This record gives sequence, structure tokens and C-alpha cells, in this order.
Amino acid sequence: MIQVTNLHKSFGEVRALQGVSFAAHDGQITGLLGPNGAGKTTTLRVLYTLLTPDDGAASVDGFDARHDAMEVQRHIGALPDARGLYTRLTARENIRYYGQLQGLKGAALEDQIEGLIKLLDMDAIADRRTDGFSTGERLKVAIARALVHNPKNVLLDEPTNGLDVMGARAMRDVIRRLRDARHCVLFSSHIMQEVAALCDRIVIIAHGRVMSDGTPDELRQATGKESLEDAFVAIIGSEEGLER
Amino acid sequence: MNSWERIGVIFRKETVDNWRDRRSLFSTLAYALIGPGMILLMIVILGGIFRTEAEKPLELPVAGQENAPNLIAFLKQNNVAVVDAPADPQAAVRNGDIVLALVIPAEYGEAFTMGQPASVQLLVDSSRTSASPDVSRARQLLQAYSGQIGTLRLLARGVNPNVINAVSLEEVDVSTPQSQAFIFLNMLPYFLIMTVFLGGMAAIIDATAGERERGSLEPLLINPAARWEFVIGKLLASVPFAVVTILFTLVAFGLIFTFVPTEKFIGMRLTVDVVALGWVFLICLPMILLASATQMIVATFAHSFKEAQTYLGWLPLIPALPGLALAFLPVKSDLWTMLIPTFGQQLLINQLIRGEVVNPTNIVVSTVMTLALSAILIYIAIRLYNREQILFVKSSG
Repeated sequence: MIQVTNLHKSFGEVRALQGVSFAAHDGQITGLLGPNGAGKTTTLRVLYTLLTPDDGAASVDGFDARHDAMEVQRHIGALPDARGLYTRLTARENIRYYGQLQGLKGAALEDQIEGLIKLLDMDAIADRRTDGFSTGERLKVAIARALVHNPKNVLLDEPTNGLDVMGARAMRDVIRRLRDARHCVLFSSHIMQEVAALCDRIVIIAHGRVMSDGTPDELRQATGKESLEDAFVAIIGSEEGLER
Repeated sequence: MNSWERIGVIFRKETVDNWRDRRSLFSTLAYALIGPGMILLMIVILGGIFRTEAEKPLELPVAGQENAPNLIAFLKQNNVAVVDAPADPQAAVRNGDIVLALVIPAEYGEAFTMGQPASVQLLVDSSRTSASPDVSRARQLLQAYSGQIGTLRLLARGVNPNVINAVSLEEVDVSTPQSQAFIFLNMLPYFLIMTVFLGGMAAIIDATAGERERGSLEPLLINPAARWEFVIGKLLASVPFAVVTILFTLVAFGLIFTFVPTEKFIGMRLTVDVVALGWVFLICLPMILLASATQMIVATFAHSFKEAQTYLGWLPLIPALPGLALAFLPVKSDLWTMLIPTFGQQLLINQLIRGEVVNPTNIVVSTVMTLALSAILIYIAIRLYNREQILFVKSSG
């Protein structure tokens, strides 16, 4: 369960967030949709405690991101904007490092890693050094290390960025499976179709503000539009920055 | 899971990661050999130059050889190659065609026979320093000849020649062969400080600027560990590499002094005690933390691996320059010098390899001061890592 209340954040002159509020629930996929520069990444960074909001609060499973950062970090698995790997370590060693930092060890850790390697179909690459991995292979490792401690809440920043069609399909499959396992999934995207196809709940964000928040049906009703696409355009006011 | 267990996890990962970076590892070790290599080269080349300078016959252009056959014979006996001077010896010396010339005027013979001072001229250009060893050798020989003839004349008149030696000047060179050779060893502290700063550098850069450049810093910091734990873990991971590099350098120095027949090149044996080298190693240890903490702070401000490498390449010069000056300016290891981290250690290292007695208080004071400054720098590094800007030095947004 992720709760964001009235977040404000400025970087010098740039007012990145101007009162962002929404909630993401367990067993649901919540999409954070908005054009580039809308404030999606900044919101997520506040949630994974890397940024402190100027005003407002963010909490995960009741833990406040500002005051209980470590507890929040234990309860989330994140695929941030930057997802670099250690190229001199194997895929398995990359995942193990994050598991150890999360406090896992021994057989419990190794079993967990093995399970993720199976889930993400990484057997062939698990014990290779990640130097020279394709974008898709790197993303799998980054997802696996984010999920190694089996976090209840999963935050994904543009998870399908740079993936080919097959890779994006596989990614969406993983996201659905996480929902089915009662995780709370929050992911950001600027791609309408992806959000429309996956999300139980959509938070539309632009210029640092939440423009709309609801189920796809609620969005269609509120705007009086037949298709979700038209609803988005009506809400944001333009097609600027959105991809079909 | 407590802080130290997490620091252990970070330390192990960074150590394995950097251990696999063989290219950095080998280039660091190669750099570590530059110091011993240069000292070896200096011994072989400079030693060779000094020796041949002394043994080479002095080439002396002489005008008017026929005026003083006796003097010429004396010079030839004393390893002087007498050659004919050019037509205008003054101009030739001034132009630098020859470094010096001896002019024996025609009146020489007459004055000599009369028992009066027979004057000769030694033409030199004092603005040319390269001439000075030759000039002083020529001057010494002429004075020796003068003294020899004077003594003979006194004896011929039945006078004890010692009456004209009111003061007998005897120069006693108290430097042992060892301390003369230490001209070469004075460079050693300088190279060791370089090594201290170099040894852990690759690991520090990789763990800081490298981490950011790879895009692995943001996901890493999302893990539940305090920033100070990351700083300490990464800092400690540089220590084994620095230790190995320092040992490598010291062993190389030890091998040179043990197995290279230095007496063949500089006419004396260079020896350095193994125990002294052991103490040198221990004195270097606290400086590793100082070096790593400084590098961590600098690398934090670098946008990329390359940039960090450029900055940090210059860093060892700051503490090493006083050491280089030590090779030429003698500084006593007083207590105040021990208050300056890295400077005190260089004086101590110098004392140790000279086989001098080292004051234990000095070792304690310099170690404590170095650790204290390291602690302050580590604190600053942690402060830097606690800022949210740590993610954004790279302008990726």
C-alpha cells in the first residue's frame, strides 16, 4: 500500500511537484501516466527515499519515507530510472549483492535467487558476467535484484523503456504476475497503450500535478469519451509528449 | 543484521569487483614499480657518470707548452691530456668552444729560473657551471705543482718546508659510504607516498564516480543501508589494494638493495634493514585511510570515471612534494613536523632507511594526527553522501 499526500518538490527554479496525491493498493497495478518531465520520476524518487519532499508526505505500508527511510526501503523493490549493473559480476552475483543488503543470507537467499532466475527465464545468463548483456537481459537482472527480498510493493520507472516487442510483452507478464501474487505495483510510463492494457488504476500526472485518478472506466465516464485514448487527451489537454 | 554486517557485504562486493578489474590492478602495480625502477636507474646511470668523470683524463688546452716543459710533464703524469690551445684562447673560452685553457707566457722560464713567482693564466668562464669540476681539477694540479717546486727549493736552501705550513688543513669526510649513498634513498619517501595514494585509487574511483557513471548508484542507494555504511564499506575496500601495492613497492626496493651490486656503480654497498622496511610499512598504513578519504571526496564531485582519474592523478603530488624537497633540503624530524600528516611520515621513513634511531613519540604523534584528519575527511565524505545531490552530479536528471 503506497500513499502519497500533497507532495511538493522544487529543484532551484524548477517546480517538479506541486501537490501530488494518490494511493496505490495491494493486488492492483497502478499506472503513473504522464508526458516526459511531468514529475513521474521525481515522485518515485521520493517514494524510494532518495529525495526529501519540500512539503507533503509519502508512505509505504504505513512507514513514512522521510522518517523511516530504512523501513520503507525494506518494503519496496524498485526499478529506478538508472539501472546499471556491475559488469564484472555475474547476473547471480548482482542479484545476491542486493539480497545481502536486504539482510538475506544462506539457503533462503540462494533459493530466492534461483526462483527469480526461473521466473524471469534467465538460466542461460545467470552465471555469466553482465558485461555485454543486451538491454533486455540487463533489465531482467535489474528486476530480479529489485525483487530478491520479495517486497510487498514494487515500483517500476518506465520498465519497458528500450525493450523490443517480445521483451515488453514479457515485462507486462511479470507485472501481471506480481499483481496476482497480491503485490502493490506502481509503475510509470508515458505510453498510453501500455497503461491502458495493464492498469487497474491510472494516475494521470502533468506539470507536477495529478490531473486525474481513477479506474479506466471512471476516466471514460468523467470525460464522456468512448476510448481511453480520447479520455487521456481530454484530461491532459493536449497530446504533447504522449506516445501511442 | 547490523551495520557492520552490511559494511562487510559492501566491502566484500567492492573487493571482488575490483579484484576482477585486472587491467586496473596490473597498471597500479606497474606504477608502483616506477619508484624502485627510477632509483635503480639513477644508481646505474648517475653512478656511472660520477665514476667516469673522475677517471677520465682532463683535457687541457695549453698555449705556450714549450715555455714550461717541466710543468707539462707534471700535468701529463697526473692524467691530463695536454692539447694545443687555439690561436685565440680567450675568445675560444668565452664562446664556449673549450671550457678552459692554460696560457704559459714566454717570461715563465726566466721568472722560474730566477726563483720568482712564474705566472701562468688559467682562462675560465665562471658563468658556465659545466666547467667547474674541470677548472677545480686544473687549479688543484697547478697548486700541487707550485707546492712541490716550493718545497724542493726550501729543501735546497736547507730550510724545513714545514715552516711555511702555519696551518695544516686536513679535510676529513665523515660521511659513511652509506650516508653518501642516501642521496639516492632520499627519493624513497616521495615514491612511497605516491604509492600510498595510488594503491587504492582505482577501487575508490570505481566505487564512487564509476558507480554513478554506470548508473548503479541510484538503485544501490535504494537498499536499506545507511549512507555512512556505504561510505565506510567502499573506503575499506580500497585498503587491501593499497596495502598490496605498498608491500609490492617495498619488496621491490628491498630486492634492489639486496641483489643489485650497487658497489659496482656508485662504489659502495647500499643496504636497507628488513626490520626498518617493516616499520616503514606500518608507518604507511594510517596514510591509506587519509588517501582514500581524500580521493572519495574528490571523486564525489567528478562527473565520470575519466574526470575522477584526471583529478586524482594530481592528488599525490600535494603530499609528495615536501618529500621531494626533503631530498635536497635537510629538515630535522622535530615534533612540529609530526603534526603535519604525510610530512611527518616522510621524515620518519627517511630516518628509518638511514638506520637512525626513531623517537617512538614521533611515530605515535604522526599516526594519531593522520588518523584524526582521516576521520574528519571521512565525516565530510559521509555528509556528501547524505545529500540528495549525490545522485545528480551526472546531469541525467
